[in-house]
Amino acid sequence: MTDRSWRAQARTLVLWSSLTSFALFAAAAAIAWSWRDDLPDPIASHWGTKAGAPDGFGSLSSLILGDTVLVVLLCALFSAIAWFWGVSAISRRMVAASNVWAGGFSASLLLFMVGPQRGLPDATQATLPGWAVAAAILLPLVPAVVAALLVRRDPPSPSTAPVAADAPRIALADGERAVWIRRADGGPGLIVGAIVMIAITLLVVWLRQWALLAVPVLLAAVFVATFAYTVRVDATGLTVRSLIGWPGTHVAADEVERASVTEVHPLRQFGGFGWRVGRGGRVGVVLRSGDGLLVEQSGGRSLVVTVDDAATGAALLNTLADRTHR
Amino acid sequence: MLWRIDAASDEPLYAQLVAQAHLAAARGQLAPGDRLPTARELADSLDLNVHTVLKAYQQLRDEGLIELRRGRGAVVTARAAADLSPVEQALAVLVRVAREANLSTETLTVLVKEAMSR
Repeated sequence: MTDRSWRAQARTLVLWSSLTSFALFAAAAAIAWSWRDDLPDPIASHWGTKAGAPDGFGSLSSLILGDTVLVVLLCALFSAIAWFWGVSAISRRMVAASNVWAGGFSASLLLFMVGPQRGLPDATQATLPGWAVAAAILLPLVPAVVAALLVRRDPPSPSTAPVAADAPRIALADGERAVWIRRADGGPGLIVGAIVMIAITLLVVWLRQWALLAVPVLLAAVFVATFAYTVRVDATGLTVRSLIGWPGTHVAADEVERASVTEVHPLRQFGGFGWRVGRGGRVGVVLRSGDGLLVEQSGGRSLVVTVDDAATGAALLNTLADRTHR
Repeated sequence: MLWRIDAASDEPLYAQLVAQAHLAAARGQLAPGDRLPTARELADSLDLNVHTVLKAYQQLRDEGLIELRRGRGAVVTARAAADLSPVEQALAVLVRVAREANLSTETLTVLVKEAMSR
């Protein structure tokens, strides 16, 4: 794949996912606006720790305007990632999902906030139940997943040049088959995940908004899925897969230009831990700092996985990639 | 860890896997508690029949290197971390004297096998 074609794909994706996001929010805003004659003025626009006692009020138009700014800012932020760093399909996929989720979240939250205020004489009686917040977070995941699935995978693009001559190799006889399998885990992921979940759970208990427990449950699933992986190098290439089977990614052996060991600084290079898009569009499965396996792929793509004994994995991947060029 | 299979070798395929697991344990690449890949995964990656891998795992279990537990797969046992350095030292001596005696690898292997079966 040439440099131009991923940029074209990224531009198209930014356009349709942002428009979808804006359309979702515009539809919700239009519905809320059609309710304006039934609403108190001002309406409740913010709730503190008590679901039954709003602590912020404003006009409907200012609430819609504020939410519009939020959607535009979020989409601009996510879109910039695809625009500048969307060289890998996996990054573009995350951006499409994030854009659509942002619009869906703002739309649902607006409707859940404003809808129950219809017919109220006074906005101080307005409630924002926990289930509404949980639903506003979870419901937009459905269109977000659809958007992610709509993003095409990178088409197969075998590298035209042989694997870099100075890259490490291992001695493998002709006809000898080999596989390197290693578990990637560690780092602060589990501890951070546990602290975040306990904090949110305590908050939910304190607020007595039991429906919001759906949020720590969802987070727990995400942490379990994304903080331990099996990394495998075999004749098909490099496969990184979560212990529970998803998420994962694969680099075909014939798309490998060079595999090597690299020093990973999670915060500086990727801004944190987990599935990341870093500088230059490098995709990172970053669980800890220290040595990682770096694979440079055709089309300017690259992938880093923090895994122990990356030197063996890199050498085997180069050796097996050589075989695809014969 | 790295697993390799040489179909051209005289050594049976399952025995190649068994030997590599022992070596990896001796060199610290497999630690007690480590989990071996599932037999299916290893078989697919090395283009082997899954029964070949299972046979290797069963022998490794019989030899005490791993435990096979339902649901948990093949787990390296605490006993596995045997120190092979005396063996490697003795091997270095054996190889040196065998070369001095002009023994071929095949002949030496036969001698070693004979000695081991005594």
